[in-house]
Amino acid sequence: MAHILLVEDSPEVSMTVREILATAGHSIEDAPSGREALKLLAGGKFDLIVTDVWMPGMDGIALLKEIRGAGNSIPVIVISGGAPNAPLTYTAPLAATFGANVVIYKPFEKAELLKAVDTVLSD
Amino acid sequence: MNAPVTSLRSKATLSALDAQRLLDAFPSAVVVFGPEGEIVAANRRAEHLLAAPVATVIGQSPDGAFRLFRERAERIATAEQARFVQPFGSLWYLVESFPLAAGAQSLRAIVATDITDMKSAEFEIRESEARLEEATRIAQLGTYKFYWDTGKIHWSAQVYAIHGMLPGAVITSERYRDIVHPDDCELFDRTHQDQLDGKPIRGVEYRIIRKDGAVRWLRKDARVLFDADGEPYATFGTCQDITEAKQHEQELKSLLRRNTILYEALDASPIGVGVVTTDSESPEFFYVNAEFERLTGHNTSSLSEHGIDTLTPGGELGAGWARVVQTLRASVSGAFELTCLRRDGGQFLAQIEIAPVRDHPGRDATVFVLNLRDITVDRQRADSLLQSQKMEALGQLSGGVAHEINNLLQPMLALSDLGQDIADKDPAKVRKYFEVIASSGRKARDVVRQVLTFARRDAPQLAPYPIADLVGDALHLLHSGLPPGIHLTPTLACGDAHAVVNPTQVSQVVLNLVTNAADAMDGEGEVALALTEVDLDQVTAAQLTLAPGRWIRLSVTDKGCGMDAYTLSRIFEPFFTTKLAGRGTGLGLSVVYSIVAGWGGALKVDSEVDKGTNAMVYIPLATDG
Repeated sequence: MAHILLVEDSPEVSMTVREILATAGHSIEDAPSGREALKLLAGGKFDLIVTDVWMPGMDGIALLKEIRGAGNSIPVIVISGGAPNAPLTYTAPLAATFGANVVIYKPFEKAELLKAVDTVLSD
Repeated sequence: MNAPVTSLRSKATLSALDAQRLLDAFPSAVVVFGPEGEIVAANRRAEHLLAAPVATVIGQSPDGAFRLFRERAERIATAEQARFVQPFGSLWYLVESFPLAAGAQSLRAIVATDITDMKSAEFEIRESEARLEEATRIAQLGTYKFYWDTGKIHWSAQVYAIHGMLPGAVITSERYRDIVHPDDCELFDRTHQDQLDGKPIRGVEYRIIRKDGAVRWLRKDARVLFDADGEPYATFGTCQDITEAKQHEQELKSLLRRNTILYEALDASPIGVGVVTTDSESPEFFYVNAEFERLTGHNTSSLSEHGIDTLTPGGELGAGWARVVQTLRASVSGAFELTCLRRDGGQFLAQIEIAPVRDHPGRDATVFVLNLRDITVDRQRADSLLQSQKMEALGQLSGGVAHEINNLLQPMLALSDLGQDIADKDPAKVRKYFEVIASSGRKARDVVRQVLTFARRDAPQLAPYPIADLVGDALHLLHSGLPPGIHLTPTLACGDAHAVVNPTQVSQVVLNLVTNAADAMDGEGEVALALTEVDLDQVTAAQLTLAPGRWIRLSVTDKGCGMDAYTLSRIFEPFFTTKLAGRGTGLGLSVVYSIVAGWGGALKVDSEVDKGTNAMVYIPLATDG
């Protein structure tokens, strides 16, 4: 069982991801933006971060830069709904460049996310 | 005349009767006076002059007019012989008076010969000379003679007058050349050589500069005169001042040239130009240029024959063409888009502009200029341009749309899945899942609807809409399409004011302006969007070519790279872009411009290099009711 930080601006997606992760017994805290996530990170211990890419304020990529820039090697799963002004295929290399462990695309199935969580936690 | 008298004297033996017969046979009137002035003898022809039969005047002194003859004859008789010409009544006589030595008596004979015929011929010559003189004066035509041996030139008085010289001045070829206009000296020399070569000169025109500085045009005609041996000795010619005629000729020439140029210019015009007159019942074509002919297949004569009806499909004035005729009748300007019939039966979409040609201010014009353009292709191109820009905008939107849809599909798929697992255990939670699924589905439907509305090809319908809502919707659609570094701060401060617009077009305008602003800042920085109601005063309104009063203003401001004056002057041109290849077609602002113009609004862009850009769209406010 892991303690997971979920960063997602869409309330519906946030709720859905929480529900999926809860079925596997994980505990979740959530933040609507990168900025909020950094605050939570500073105040608590998390095993994993699941973050959206496209969010107002600080987005997922910027958040990754901050985390990795600070020397934090916490596992990060990026969930992407598609990139603006750039083809979808750009998101994965971008996220990988900045240190994402896994990138999965919305809409994903329950199993896909849970498998990704298991993968990064077992590494 | 002496002969009969001499014979009279030498044949003294002639009887008086014979002498009288002899006198009577003489073709002139003869009267012989004695020393006392009495008539000694007279012949039959003298009766008319004496106004009496010969028999009754012998021994008498003559009376009346003949007395004058005699007195004059005596007065001039100092010479042996005198001749004079004197009129008598309507007749002219050559009078000869000479003394006769008949014995010791001193006799004087007067012989008067009727020269009336000769005299009248002489009169006629004099009169015709006078007429000729007058004619040459009026025609400013003089004559001259050039003598080959001396090189001297003799001018008539008129030639001196033409040259502005006093009669009698000595002229030579060399001196004359000095007053010839420098540009005509060569011609003058050539003509002079022709003259010396014995060639005739016909209508040579050249200029002189008179002493008073006046430049005069002269025309010279001349031929060579030959002496009895066939040798040329002089040139006789005429010289005419043709300055006035030349000026008229020049004016006429320049007028013709102007006309030719104007006609050529009209024929070179890429716009069909027709001139229509409304003097008669129905408008008539007076002239059409080459482009007009090309467009319609009709030339001026076929148009003036068949009239304006020949351009109307079906041969009758539809509502559109009727408006053209009404405009002509009302003597005003107008612009129309109409279907025009070609001679070959084809049709095209024509743009027609009419302007009255006012020759008398205040009076209705009866002449009009009619410009004709074929805008069929333009219209199709404009339609497809607008459509292609929409497609481009749609492409820009697609990233955002995909994001939106994916985010909505996420709960729908995953919650359906999760719900199935717990359907029996936790119905309350499943119900909650269904709510989220349904609301996500509705949101997805709205997104799709927005995209479809945007992509529609229909002509935009304008209607009053709450403008803040439309801009808000556009921003919502746009939001996820903006680079993450761009912060958009919207201020929608016009309440529920309604604007007369088309919702799709509002999205297009907002999308274009915000995307441009974001691009200007390289994807990082703040874009301020403000929607407010403003009051335009006279001056500001005039600058925007809008009516003063209340308008809605959409303002998009960035602190980006800005534009220099040159770029700013071209931003409304289609395909003008400062963006890298592949990042935009450059249609954005030109489309915004045409959309806003279509609303009857205005677009104003201010920019300063490295400071930023502010685009302001003025949108017509819906009037109440």
